[in-house]
Amino acid sequence: MENAAIFGWALLWILFWGALGGVVTPRVYARKDLEISQASFGGAVIGAALGPFSLLPLWFATPKITSRLIGIAIAIVVGIFIAAFALADPDNLCVANGGFVISQLANGIVIGIIYGLMALGLTLIFSILGVVSFAHGEFYMIGGMVTYFMTAEWIPGVSPIIAILASCVVTFAIGYLFERIFLRPMGSGEIERPTEYAILVTFGLAFFLQYLTQALTSAVPVKAQRFFPFPRTEIPADSGALLKMTPGNVTVFDAISIPNPRFTAALLALMMLAALLWFLYRTWVGKALRAVSQDRQAAAVTGINPNSMNTLAFSMGAMLAGLSGASLVQVFSWLPQVGIPAAARSFVIIVLGGMGSLPGAFLGGLIVGLVEAAGTGCIPDATRAAAYIPAYGMVILTLVLLLKPTGLFGREL
Amino acid sequence: MSPTRIYRVAGTITIVLLLLIPLASSELNGLGPLVLSSYFMHLAITAFFYAILASSWSLLAGYAGQFSFGHMAFMAIGGYTSGLIGKFIRFTTAPSELCTDIPLLGNWWLVILNIRRVGTIDESCLDMAKTQTLPAGTLIIFPPVWASIAMGLVMGAVFGLLVGWLVLRLRSTYLALFTIGFSEILRASISAEIPITEGQSGLELVPLFPAGIMGFTSTSKIPPYYAMLLLFLFAMALMTWLAGSRFGLFIRAIREDEEAAAALGVNIVRYKVLVFVITSTLAAAAGALQGHYIGIITPNTVIILQMSLVIAMAVIGGLENIYAASVGAIVITFALELLRTNITIGPLHVDMTLWRLVFFGLLLMLTLRFQRNGLLFPILERISRGRVAQETVSIRVESEELEEVVTEEEVALETEEEETQPASSEENPG
Repeated sequence: MENAAIFGWALLWILFWGALGGVVTPRVYARKDLEISQASFGGAVIGAALGPFSLLPLWFATPKITSRLIGIAIAIVVGIFIAAFALADPDNLCVANGGFVISQLANGIVIGIIYGLMALGLTLIFSILGVVSFAHGEFYMIGGMVTYFMTAEWIPGVSPIIAILASCVVTFAIGYLFERIFLRPMGSGEIERPTEYAILVTFGLAFFLQYLTQALTSAVPVKAQRFFPFPRTEIPADSGALLKMTPGNVTVFDAISIPNPRFTAALLALMMLAALLWFLYRTWVGKALRAVSQDRQAAAVTGINPNSMNTLAFSMGAMLAGLSGASLVQVFSWLPQVGIPAAARSFVIIVLGGMGSLPGAFLGGLIVGLVEAAGTGCIPDATRAAAYIPAYGMVILTLVLLLKPTGLFGREL
Repeated sequence: MSPTRIYRVAGTITIVLLLLIPLASSELNGLGPLVLSSYFMHLAITAFFYAILASSWSLLAGYAGQFSFGHMAFMAIGGYTSGLIGKFIRFTTAPSELCTDIPLLGNWWLVILNIRRVGTIDESCLDMAKTQTLPAGTLIIFPPVWASIAMGLVMGAVFGLLVGWLVLRLRSTYLALFTIGFSEILRASISAEIPITEGQSGLELVPLFPAGIMGFTSTSKIPPYYAMLLLFLFAMALMTWLAGSRFGLFIRAIREDEEAAAALGVNIVRYKVLVFVITSTLAAAAGALQGHYIGIITPNTVIILQMSLVIAMAVIGGLENIYAASVGAIVITFALELLRTNITIGPLHVDMTLWRLVFFGLLLMLTLRFQRNGLLFPILERISRGRVAQETVSIRVESEELEEVVTEEEVALETEEEETQPASSEENPG
């Protein structure tokens, strides 16, 4: 990278003023007897945005820190970050080539939708059971495995739709059995310290499922054929300037290029999302689920059985993970270990979006998808950057947990 | 004999046996009645290593209720600190002038090497200095292994302090997620910083006793056996003392109810941080020792599956007892090795290297579900009960009656609890 110093100094500037704002602002607000619940986080982002030029007015005027203020500050920080990157490395593909940027963004959004779907499952489980399933990645992996083996080995030539449905059934069934045998006793007071128990037992399930899959299949990576190849089309017919489709790819305006597997996976995810929203907001059972997540006792009084809602939520969460795995098995190569990074990504997403918040999970998925796309496309020194990729999400996770454990949309603790 | 006395006697016998085991090793062939291969010795060392990790994790999770997933990260911090010191630091009697020199007492210099990769071989500034600037007869000394291990402990304590302080506000799930994040960041950094840590290919460490000790060569298994055993016994003694003292009471009070403990005057901040520091220092010590014994440490020791192995050992042995956790670790280390043999039943070929872990995971889940406090004490009870002379019928009837009363009370208590139990989650999905 040329002029790496510019980028480094910008980063230092952001970090220094952010830390100062985060530490000093709550004290200023506390001294003036104002609300300090947002002061630490708000002070940090506002300090990071404009440094002393925003911190001094903030400390003197001490306005109420609204989410709009925080949003503007975050936008400025991101702007500074991008500007510094552009100045530091003007020849980078991400700076010099607009088409590449748009293509990366589109791909990021497409993959982010699928990440969001998977995280939705996790957040659904958390909002009803109050449990983070550490086996979420394994359901994702099993969903992909079932789809691959259905289409490629057991019944070659079967419609991918049937394979995907089968993987939904399998993951739903595993989730159902597990919840009935291992998580149901938590509600009855049979188990001491249920939260810790849930962490360990889902962890045990992850261990079990991972090695079971490895023992049943093998450690050789597999990858499914693309489910639905595009028809060959060109609009306009001779040049394909507006839209150009080949079986493996679609190009819009000669700039945005999305591979077919990602596109179909995102389409499947969107359809599933619509079905999920319809289920949660328009059906009796869905409304019952949301009622339980708001108030268990009150829901029980109105005749909803919270226990069966627990089972339903866990199995549906597992199914959503299985579904995202099933739709991604044509995109990535598949191994029994593939669930670990996927689960880690889901943790990042739900913490970022706010634990238990459905819109938060979806938005978090989009953000993580975009950041990953930018990370893989833009960072120079590729080998080192690639080794750090698992860490980026984790840095976000730890920072959010420390600064704002409620995430973007979470309820205040 | 009272049960405490039985445990005490059994413990003493076990310690004496563990101290005597090397006499039967194949290296000292002829001293003992049975001959143990060096493979067995290696397994024993590994078992002690896991026993230290599992028991210190049980102090952290079982006693203090801090379900951290970063224990292997602290272990790796110990190993890598010790290894990096051995790789980058030398003591010389004259300044090298090509490296970073720090003057020490007398005419000794601490030299921080600057290793450059030229083609396929590593070239350090000291190698160049030897031929160019260093006067003839300059002594170059490697840092002693015990000192680098001690630095590993210090780093483990520092990181334990840092993490313990950062996670003060986080509970259960959030703590678990944070520590997973911490260990993943550490793992990624270790794999990425190849010039320093050698990345995935692993950092090589000097043997525990580079020059050999008491007639044993540096590759002998017996000195590392005693080193690891002594660390294990020291860790157990320290944790026994801690668990039995006010410290143990306080951390258990924090586990049960933080607010109540604080209201009774327990300094929550101090004890939560302290338990993190102590357990991570023990993990770092085990990691440093094991790293020097194996001779190499890779970032893969920090992966989640390794952590889940330690957790499984502690849980299956008994999460809320450091002895149970350590015995669990030792038994499982040996059991996993014994189960390596593949089985062929007719056309069915069972690859036990994988299936043993499947059963192991299943055992972990079933233990958690049905024997929350581990399998060790229930098994011991069953064995000892079998040997007890026949109880008289009257005693049995009496005790059954007593039990019935107790269970009735428990049922009453449980129903009360159910009524007063707060909703576990009230998040709004909309």
